[in-house]
This record gives sequence, C-alpha cells and structure tokens, in this order.
Amino acid sequence: MEALNAFSVSLQAVWNDSGFSAFTVGNGIMIVVGLVLLYMAFVKEFEPLLLGPIAFGCILANFPNTGFFGEEMNVMKAINYGITYEIFPPLIFLGIGAMTDFSPLLARPSTLLLGAAAQIGVFVALGGAMLVGFNVHEAAAIGIIGGADGPTSIYLSTKLAPHLLGAIAVAAYSYMSLVPMIQPPIMKLMTTQAEREIVMKDLRKVTKFELIVFPIVATIFISLLLPPIAALLGCLMLGNLFRESGVTDRLSDTAQNALINIVTIFLGTGTGMTMNAESFLRADTLLIIGLGLVAFMGGTAGGLIFGKIMCRLTGGAINPLIGSAGVSAVPMAARVSQLVGMKSKPGNYLLMHAMGPNVAGVIGTAVAAGTMLAMLK
Amino acid sequence: MEHSPVTTNPLIIMMINMTVVFIVLVVLMYLIKLIHFIDPTKEPEVKEASEEEEPLVAVKSATASAPEPAPVVEEGIKPEVIAAITAAIAAYGFAGQVKAVHIINHEGTPWRAAAKFNNNLQRK
Repeated sequence: MEALNAFSVSLQAVWNDSGFSAFTVGNGIMIVVGLVLLYMAFVKEFEPLLLGPIAFGCILANFPNTGFFGEEMNVMKAINYGITYEIFPPLIFLGIGAMTDFSPLLARPSTLLLGAAAQIGVFVALGGAMLVGFNVHEAAAIGIIGGADGPTSIYLSTKLAPHLLGAIAVAAYSYMSLVPMIQPPIMKLMTTQAEREIVMKDLRKVTKFELIVFPIVATIFISLLLPPIAALLGCLMLGNLFRESGVTDRLSDTAQNALINIVTIFLGTGTGMTMNAESFLRADTLLIIGLGLVAFMGGTAGGLIFGKIMCRLTGGAINPLIGSAGVSAVPMAARVSQLVGMKSKPGNYLLMHAMGPNVAGVIGTAVAAGTMLAMLK
Repeated sequence: MEHSPVTTNPLIIMMINMTVVFIVLVVLMYLIKLIHFIDPTKEPEVKEASEEEEPLVAVKSATASAPEPAPVVEEGIKPEVIAAITAAIAAYGFAGQVKAVHIINHEGTPWRAAAKFNNNLQRK
C-alpha cells in the first residue's frame, strides 16, 4: 500500500512538473505557427537559414515549465542575452561585410542616392504605424522592416520596442524571402518597357586603394555622426576590410563562413524564443505584418521613382530597375532587378549595376536606424 | 541615458530622418569621389586612350602598304563534336532535358558571368 502511495505521489509530481499541466491553447497555436514557419523554411525554402531557427525557437518558447527564462543560467538564456545586449546583429554584419563587394558602389557612387530613396518605405510605415495607434518607439521599430534588413530590424526593435521583437523579425525575414514575388509587379507597374530595356555602360575598374580606404573613411564618418550605429557599421566595414586587405584571408574566411553561420543559428533561435503566446498572439502582430508589407512596397517604389529621376537626369544612362535594389535585401533585390531587366531585354545584365544601390541600401537602413535612435532613444 | 523623444509628430520625424539619410549618403558619395581623386594607384584614363589609338593607326597603315592574306582558321567547334557531346549527355539519362547546345561566351566581367549564372539558376 505504501509503495502504491509513493508511486501515485511520484506520478503526480511528474505531471505537475511536465509541460502538459501548464499547456495553454495559446501555446498550441504558437507551436502550429512554428510548424508553418518550419514548412516555409525547409519545404518552400523561404530564407531557410534564418526562418528555420526562428521557427524552431518559436516552438521551444511555447513549452511551459522549461525554465528557459528563469533565475538560473542556461543556454537559452545565454542566447537571449546575445539579442538583449545587441551582440548578434553586429556580428552578423561582420560576416555580411566579409561577403560584400563594394566595387559596384565605388565605381558608380551616385547609386548611393537610390539606397537613400528606398528608405522612404521605412518612414511611410513609421507614419502609418503611428496613425493606427502605435507609439513613436514602436512605430520606428516597425518602420525599419521596410529597409529589408533583418539584423538592423532586430537591432532597432531590441532598443526601441523589445516586446515587438518576435513579430518584427518574422515580418522582416518573411518579406525578405518574398522579394522575388513582391517586387516584380511594382517594378513593371512603375516603369515603361523602354526604360526597362536600357542597357547600362560597364562599370570602371576599382583599385585596391579605393576598396581599402572606403571602409575606413565610411566608419570614421558615420560613427562620428551617428554613434548609436557605430557597432553595426563598424563591424560591416571591418568584415569588408578583412576581405579586401588581401592579408587576412583566414579572418575573412571565418567571418563569412563559420562565424556568421554560428551567429545566425543563435540569432534565429533567440529571436524565435521571443515568440511566446503572451507576446505574439495579439492583434498588433497582424498590424505589424501588414505595416511591414506597406513599408517594403514603399521602399521598392521609392527606389524606382528615384531611379526614374536619375534616368531622366542622365539622359537615359541609368536603368530605373536598379532603384528597387535600394532596399537592402542583399543580394536578392539585385537579382530581382537583373531578372526583370533580362526578361524585358535578353542579354541586358543589370546585376553589377544593381549591386551598387543594394549595398547602399544596407548602409542607408543602418543610417535610418541610427537617426531614429538618436532622435527617439 | 534615455531622454524623451524630440518630437512625436510622424510627419516631422519622417522629414528629418529622410533628410539626414540623404545628407549622410550624399556626403559618402563625395567621400568616394574624393578617394578616387586622391588615389595614387589609379591609371590615367584620358592619356591611355589617346596613346592606344596611335599604334593602331600605325599598324593599319603598315598592313595597308603590305597586305597579306590572313590565315584561314576554322572558327568554333565542329558540328560533329557538338553532336557527339549532345549524344553523350543524352546517354547519361538527360535526353529529355537537353533542348539546345551552344557555346558559352566567356568574355566580360566576373559580374556579367555572375548575372548569367543567376539567370541559369532561375531557369532551373
């Protein structure tokens, strides 16, 4: 009889400690959301490198009684620190810098203006978010989705609206993966056939001197002007220096492979871990996803409009299609410019020309984030 | 240290931010031009073009004075070789996928090659 009692008490204790005893309908819904995101990542291949860990983190975050965010230190808590203390986004930028070729931008610096114009989506969404009731900090964090830059979106929302991080990250990465579907209709709608057929002149050769001096000068200038983004821009340019110096191949290789892969796993999982039922299952999440789409479309349109202006001013030397690459989804947005241009005129290679505004978009989004931090924080 | 926002008017925030973004990137544009201007390693562009033209004229005049018949060289790959390659690919089980065989032009910049590669990926 005593043994039976002990067995019963033990069973009760196991049940009370299990996740089932505290499992809610919200947890169930969020696990389903996580599974849908996993399907999109691994079956549909929508940004699988980031959406995969985010989806799995979302599933993990909705198991009750795991103690992930309790008093004791554990691996999930440590990963969360990497996001809370803004460690991962700059490290991702280090890898992006090591993978980025700035020569199309240096060969045609005027494309920086396209990167600036595409940021209009950020500010349109910011205004829209405030109109539907978000406060100015939340609106700024939502608006940055329009920059199509995942690490910067996470960086800004951690600083301005940490409670919206999960929704903003999911919206940003979802739209980045949907660039080939969202952008082409806008591009075709806003340009004429004649404009799309413009063949651009080959770019000049960029010297090693320019490739090495540019990241140093840009870091000094931007970090002095906008200190809140010194970590982001500094890491981007340091990674690029590793690549271009020619004497740090090992560092460049680590930054663009091992390091960025490790940090991507942590950043994705940690972001997913913020998607628990209490913070994600709200009407605000749907609004954020809707506003993110407005921001993204606005950015594409802004780049195209400025591309058309540059086309007129240069007497038809610039194909306006490269303007849409001003949103910073690198290199996806540049590839879309290339594809739409190629469909309009076979043999018209726009990829190298679109990489200029694409890289400018990365800098432009970081500058927009820095400006908002300087104004609002 | 945190402080209250300078303004909460969306329109003013939008205007200020867009202006700052444009100013920063315009300054960056001029910095890039400055770097190119002071670059001690850049090749002189205008001089080179004029220097290149002269020897071409000289060669032309030399060939004009003493014309020689150009050696006959058969261009491209023989149709028989292309047919053999196509048959070999088909024999490996890709018969339904081979639609056309053509010689890829490798001229141009690495970016152009990347663009071609990107297009081929999209077709797949």
